[in-house]
Amino acid sequence: MTHTQKRIITNNIVMILSALSAIIGIGFLFWILGVLVLNGIDALSWTIFTQEGAPPGYEESGLKHALIGQLFIVGIATVVGVPLGILAGTYLSEYGQMSKLAQTVRDISDIMMSAPSIVIGAFVYAIVVAPMGHFSGWAGSIALTIIMLPIILRTTDDMLQLVPSTLREAAFALGASKYKVITQIVYRGAKAGILTGVLLGVARVAGETAPLLFTSFNDNFLNTDMSEPMASLTVTMYNYATSPYEDWQKLGWAAAFILSMFILSLNIIGRLFLLKKKGK
Amino acid sequence: MSILIDKLFSYATKFVAIAVLLLVAWIFTILFQNSIDSIEAFGFDFLTETKWAPNLEKFGALPAIYGSVVSTFLAMVLAVPLAIGVAIFLSELAPAKLKSPVGVSIELLAAIPSVIYGMWGLFYFVPIVRDIFGGIGISMLTAGIVLSIMILPFMAAVTRDAMNTTPDILKESAYALGGTKWDVIKDIIIPYAKAGIIGSFILALGRAIGETMAVTFVMGNVHKISFDLTEPATSIPVTLANEFTEADTSLYYSSLFELSLFLLVISFTIISIAKFYFLRRQRAA
Amino acid sequence: MATIVTITEEKALEVKDFEFTYASADAPSIKKLTMPVAKNSITALIGPSGCGKTTLLRSFNRMHDLYSGNQYSGEIIFKGRNILTAKEDLISLRIQIGMIFQKPTAFPMSIFDNVAYGMRLQGIKNKTELQGRVEKALQDAALWNEVKDRLKHDANGLSGGQQQRLCIARAVAVEPEVLLFDEPTSALDPISTAGIEELIVELKNRVSIIIVTHNMQQAARVSDYTGFMYLGELIELGLTEEMFVTPKEKLTEEYITGKFG
Repeated sequence: MTHTQKRIITNNIVMILSALSAIIGIGFLFWILGVLVLNGIDALSWTIFTQEGAPPGYEESGLKHALIGQLFIVGIATVVGVPLGILAGTYLSEYGQMSKLAQTVRDISDIMMSAPSIVIGAFVYAIVVAPMGHFSGWAGSIALTIIMLPIILRTTDDMLQLVPSTLREAAFALGASKYKVITQIVYRGAKAGILTGVLLGVARVAGETAPLLFTSFNDNFLNTDMSEPMASLTVTMYNYATSPYEDWQKLGWAAAFILSMFILSLNIIGRLFLLKKKGK
Repeated sequence: MSILIDKLFSYATKFVAIAVLLLVAWIFTILFQNSIDSIEAFGFDFLTETKWAPNLEKFGALPAIYGSVVSTFLAMVLAVPLAIGVAIFLSELAPAKLKSPVGVSIELLAAIPSVIYGMWGLFYFVPIVRDIFGGIGISMLTAGIVLSIMILPFMAAVTRDAMNTTPDILKESAYALGGTKWDVIKDIIIPYAKAGIIGSFILALGRAIGETMAVTFVMGNVHKISFDLTEPATSIPVTLANEFTEADTSLYYSSLFELSLFLLVISFTIISIAKFYFLRRQRAA
Repeated sequence: MATIVTITEEKALEVKDFEFTYASADAPSIKKLTMPVAKNSITALIGPSGCGKTTLLRSFNRMHDLYSGNQYSGEIIFKGRNILTAKEDLISLRIQIGMIFQKPTAFPMSIFDNVAYGMRLQGIKNKTELQGRVEKALQDAALWNEVKDRLKHDANGLSGGQQQRLCIARAVAVEPEVLLFDEPTSALDPISTAGIEELIVELKNRVSIIIVTHNMQQAARVSDYTGFMYLGELIELGLTEEMFVTPKEKLTEEYITGKFG
């Protein structure tokens, strides 16, 4: 066998292994997705959206409390986290630029984006839950805000930097102030990108469970008072799935399905925004 | 008037940017302050003591550290070759028609929250591990496998991105000398994208070590060092998730905070190495 | 039909009714092209951007096969066989027909390993043989004196002109019969360009050369034959010294006098 023949055989073996690992990897992932969809659709019903939690074995139980709690916790985190993140990102791109301060903020945010979220839960427990004496929706929102902040900050920074500097210069040449240039020209130019960043940021925190375990904790019933413990889809899912009761487990799958579809939709919409922008 | 707004806006942005740094410093400080009781009580023995017995007010982190290390190691051993295989498939092997749909679905799967992976692991993977390897199925091994599947999409996507930075013309040059696909991958693409590939693996490692939900379902939270991988075990995040709401004494709390601090320091270090040593070099190249 | 001068030498390659369509295109980029390539001489391909000259060049070593969906028909005869057939062994074809690209493509390895790469692919492991052939290739590429003391250094530390000569050394080290140059000096300064051109002329004693160039002066300086392509067709192939003075086709004349392109 010549050397070249050996090379060709090695090549073929490696290519088969690569295709095989792709099949294994993708197989696993579709297995998870399949399980999610099958169990989720099986568990879905109207009562899920209209009923609150109930003891196991109780017919009329649903996820209304968790859906609304999730909406409150993630909604408030978004309302607080997004403007703060955009402001900080604006500083990095428009004011700080390559300064030492800006670079440090970038680096630290990069690290925080991958840091363990459960640690943020511990931090919020210490500064909010312990002084208040009890778990609360606010504590959950604060934890998610902290997790969301670096994500929004970095995407805003990146997206604003993509706006061509000639656009800024043209506006300055017309005598516009920096504030006007940023809010009227730069933000407009980076709109699609920032929006995508926001969607992905929301998607990311919506799936967080660990930092909520000991901040917003859980509540089996509907509660709209943020200063009280509050249910979320993720923690409810965790509690129900690890319970021994079949009907609770079923509700867990429904929660998993709803949450995943929500997160996947946000991701897909975000991508479409970016694609549309690229297409222009 | 407009000068005032201008100034206010610039101060506001700068204030928030600095607040992010202060926040991170605050996180470290709070975790440290809350750890003081435990640090004073146990000192460095905290990290080497194998006994975790809340009823005896005795807290040693070694079983949790051991569990974190072993489950992450298992996950990396399983995920790295698969991720390389998937990345090769996506960047070099797949026909153009498959590249984009498979690539996008991998990226979307990376966005699925880890709690879903954990739940899937509990209901579908625990029985399989139980049938094949014995034991109760809730084990270190299960945790490692579920963790590997959870980090696989992220790793594969980032590895593919790193491999795709190799200029076409460089690959063509190697083909023009009679190279096969594999020759081009091992001699040109991997050396060229080395920093990016290693960086993405280390970043995945940093994420895996702090991952909570994917493993909490399937690990069992048993503070015991066992070399039998089919035995239940615990890790730092699993301990935190299970015990934070149960801690009833200040020393118990403090020990959990010290675990959090330790985890944050470790993750911070690993992620910094990935980002600043490897991934920045890749950007510079 | 194209005006094609009669070639008196032996032929290195013969293109017959070659047609090529990219996967993403509706219309062919090369239309029913027929062209001989003389052995041990330099044939330059000129023409405005998009005329298909690079596409044609990349057909000689089947580079297009790296990307799926490209379609071609017709024949390219090399050593008595049509190399466009499915059973053609692309690895040995590419060893016999080498290629130099628009930009220097030093591999991420040492200078020595770059030049030895093609030989190692063929299974040559003997150290003395490798050393001898690497030195010879580097001498042929007029690079030996500049790099002999730092063969173990990373090839990316060389200047652009040196890197391009390194790529030429790498290509000649496997002793090909044909060398394809795809605008080899487009990324280089004038002095490096002159060096590469000199090198190309010296190489023709041993290999047949086809060079695609944007630069008509370059074609005039280095080549024996020049082919002018336009919109995927060969308009004229002639002896370089004649074609630039008395083009036979009106289109050729307009192009070389700068009326378009």
